[in-house]
Amino acid sequence: MGEAIVITSGKGGVGKTTTTANLGTALALQGKRVCLVDTDIGLRNLDLVLGLDNRIIYDLVDVIEGRCKIHQALVKDKRVDDKLYLLPAAQTTDKNAVNPEQMKNLIDELKREYDYVLIDCPAGIEQGYKNAVAGADRAIVVTTPEISAVRDADRIIGLLEQEEIEPPKLIINRIRKGLMNSGETLDINEITTHLSIDLLGIVIDSEDVISSSNKGEPIVMDPNSKASLGYRNIARRILGESVPLMSLEDEHKGVFKKLISIFSK
Amino acid sequence: MREVSLIMKKQLVHIKGTKEGLVLRLDDQCAYAELVEELERKVSEGGIDSKVDVQLYLGYRYCTSEQMTELIQIVQGPGKMLVSNVHSEVITVEECNHRMLENQCDTYVGIVRSGQVLKAEGDIIVIGDVNPNGRIEAGGNIYILGNLKGMVHAGVNGKENVIIAASHFLPTHVMIADQIEVMSNEQPMVLKNAEQLFAYINSDGKISYNRLQDFRNIRPLLTTSKGGS
Repeated sequence: MGEAIVITSGKGGVGKTTTTANLGTALALQGKRVCLVDTDIGLRNLDLVLGLDNRIIYDLVDVIEGRCKIHQALVKDKRVDDKLYLLPAAQTTDKNAVNPEQMKNLIDELKREYDYVLIDCPAGIEQGYKNAVAGADRAIVVTTPEISAVRDADRIIGLLEQEEIEPPKLIINRIRKGLMNSGETLDINEITTHLSIDLLGIVIDSEDVISSSNKGEPIVMDPNSKASLGYRNIARRILGESVPLMSLEDEHKGVFKKLISIFSK
Repeated sequence: MREVSLIMKKQLVHIKGTKEGLVLRLDDQCAYAELVEELERKVSEGGIDSKVDVQLYLGYRYCTSEQMTELIQIVQGPGKMLVSNVHSEVITVEECNHRMLENQCDTYVGIVRSGQVLKAEGDIIVIGDVNPNGRIEAGGNIYILGNLKGMVHAGVNGKENVIIAASHFLPTHVMIADQIEVMSNEQPMVLKNAEQLFAYINSDGKISYNRLQDFRNIRPLLTTSKGGS
């Protein structure tokens, strides 16, 4: 019996879909069987980020309305052999086509076959959110170091605490080291004390993420990117390993400065 | 025969003069209709020249609000007497429960997050933070053992002698009874030091803020426990 994790944020554009795609891929690379479920009915794009859009035949609404079997709708990612599957959202209807109970039954069925079921939640707190949360055992809240994203994360955590699931965990996405170190954005400590939930990991903002999303290849496939490391660490923490938090120190220090910092400790 | 008539003559409405005006003591054992009849008769007897304040004592009779207004109208009917107060020894269970709720103190452990509204009939203690856009509404006082960064409304039902206290006092909106204050730069006291402050309505009827140390001078009656000597 696997575990269903919903990835949500409240605010749009903070990186829910990117996080879902990358965590799913990272877990699959670790040898787990993973199914990604896109619940953003009407505005699907998890398939694009994974580069699986041209292989969709059936979708989530087809499964729920009984037009096909689950395994017919699942799209296999060939890059990670037989480990990663996507259940795409429908594009032609809207979020009201599905209700939370149907969603729960679907997720329960997927949990029997997969180690992890990652549910990509749409932005907002309406029907789509309710559908996405219905079948989940755990929740991950994604935020960025912006005050608006943190405010919406606070709201969504409040809503998640009303559900019968484990306390949500936090991912801080799109961290720009320079701005954070100079105090222009909220720092990690401020965000975690404000939201007072456990931090699952941080992901550093990188241009590679944008270009790889556009190519349809999750950034975790590229082991050299800082963002990739962030996602891999989070995946390892989900699997129960304890991995220290990535340092935000500037690595472009000269030798002289490094020496000074060693002596000043 | 004489005895019977004497018992019948037992006064149902007893009028007594005091410094504050007349006191009308109404019998609480007889039937309501009898009482009304007697009261109408007594009131119309006259003998009062100038306007006078009257206090009604209902004893252990329970009167509905309609009956209460009827009695008051009868007394004020001739235009000489003005009812200043109605005393009753009994209240309904419903009213009693409501009073108990108003006087009790609820405890909430956790964070009041954005979009959440926490309501209490009486006082409330929050052990945790109140985040921006979170809201607390209480009939009585609000005490927050944590960071107050949201909205607070004490004395929702119009009670003015209530206070809002927090260990870290940085709210966006402070409301007490029917007054509202938006926290902006005009509150230097609050901005300078947000530690252990409380808000209350001062003698000028304005919301003001003070250190928790001054609390006992401003609201000495709030202390309920004795001792400490």
